[in-house]
Amino acid sequence: MLAISGLHSHYGQSHIIQGIDILAGPGEVIGIFGRNGVGKTTLLKTIAGWVRASQGAITLDGEALTGLTPERICHAGVGFVPEDRRIFPGLTVGENLSLGLLQVRGRSSQDEKRAIDGIYDRFHRLGERRNQLGTTLSGGEQQMLAMARVMVGKPRLVLIDEPSEGLAPMIVAEIFAIVRELRDQGAIILLVEQNVHEALSVADRFHVVERGQIVFSGDAESQPDRERLLQLIAV
Amino acid sequence: MTPVDYLQFVLAPQVVNGLALGIAVVLVALGLTIIFGMLDVINMSHGEFYAIGAYAALALGAAGVGFWFLLILVPVLMVPLGMVAERLLIRPVFDTKDRHVTTLLVTFGLGLIVEDVLKIIFGANTQRPPTPIPGATEILGIILPNYRIFLILVGVAIVLGVAYVVYKTRLGAMVRAAAFDRNMAASLGVPVSLVYAGTFAFGVSLAGLAGVLLAPIYSVFPTMGRDFILLAFTVVIVGGMGSIWGAVVAGLLLTQVQALASLIISPVWTDPIVFGTMVAFLVFRPQGLFGRLGHA
Repeated sequence: MLAISGLHSHYGQSHIIQGIDILAGPGEVIGIFGRNGVGKTTLLKTIAGWVRASQGAITLDGEALTGLTPERICHAGVGFVPEDRRIFPGLTVGENLSLGLLQVRGRSSQDEKRAIDGIYDRFHRLGERRNQLGTTLSGGEQQMLAMARVMVGKPRLVLIDEPSEGLAPMIVAEIFAIVRELRDQGAIILLVEQNVHEALSVADRFHVVERGQIVFSGDAESQPDRERLLQLIAV
Repeated sequence: MTPVDYLQFVLAPQVVNGLALGIAVVLVALGLTIIFGMLDVINMSHGEFYAIGAYAALALGAAGVGFWFLLILVPVLMVPLGMVAERLLIRPVFDTKDRHVTTLLVTFGLGLIVEDVLKIIFGANTQRPPTPIPGATEILGIILPNYRIFLILVGVAIVLGVAYVVYKTRLGAMVRAAAFDRNMAASLGVPVSLVYAGTFAFGVSLAGLAGVLLAPIYSVFPTMGRDFILLAFTVVIVGGMGSIWGAVVAGLLLTQVQALASLIISPVWTDPIVFGTMVAFLVFRPQGLFGRLGHA
């Protein structure tokens, strides 16, 4: 269970996140929507430990994440796929993936090999390019690698920021299929996405953020909630 | 003098001497480039860590420790020294806005202190440990000191060993990842602080090893670090900050330029050529020949 309560965070003097509360259970996909610059990315960065929370609490299955370093948050079971993918361009696809294995401590090398082979079976294109540098991949392949890199660590909470940005529709469908797989594995997913229609196809619930606060929460299946969402973000 | 004589007695020895000096410079530059590329820290005290390695070898050698054991013992002893220096001097200022300037000045100050401490403990006079492998060998008519042949072989082995760790192991992948994107690496579980401290200590340890290896050739004196450090910095900049292969290529190339240029022009022009190359790279290709560590 993910529990975020009264979360605040700042960028220098700017008060970006101004008291956000979110509850989510295993296998739930929560869409986070809102216009540009309202604090969606900062929310994910605060949960991941990239931005320090100035107030409030974040717990995952009862374990407090607030104030921990990104490394310790990762080991607590949080995977992060940031907006610009952040693939290591000087590392091969295989090396990028192998770093994802660090999330789980104490795995045998056989288990690790099995996990990586599983990824290559699932993502043939990554398997074919396992010895290529990250920088040689297309945008879609990089996004796949970023998702696979998190998947291999089997996190309990996955933070995904704008996964479809700048990608062709076919690749977008593939990326959202991966989101569904993560959900089916039981992970809680916080999904920040501009492509609202695609995001609603995988989300169970959603929150709309304005000026660092949640101004509306709805059910992804509910037509009135969807209509209200579209009004709020003026799509 | 016939062309064959010129080749055998002038050119070939000069190339081999340049190669030995090149390996020496690469050994010093290796630690420097890893620290530079990984931490973005210009370690101005690197030459003094090299001097500490040489003095440690001298003192321990005088106490009866054999040269072969020193090759292992001194680098191992340098690791905690590097860890302490990183913890006390680099880390406190690492996240400040003026990190580059601050760390440069802090390490410069450390270098001056170390130099003076070495003077106080060992005196200002030049000392020279005995050559561990005396004698010479004739190869294709060229007489080569055995220790220089050993230095070249060991240097190649060290470079290959370091390159293997950095480019072919998961530890190396963690180092390169943290060098490129600290936050993302941490979010994947890379222990970034430990990797930084370990990298600094590893660089310092390499400097110490270089000190042990080069002391029998270049002698030991408190300011010995300065002789190499300028050339080593040039190698790091020309090769690419953090690039091991860059350090190797630039180190061998620049020392050959130095060695061969002195056959054609006055030796006073060799330094301007080498450092002019560094300036040209800074202006026209600041990423160096091979780019930065962790970058494609």
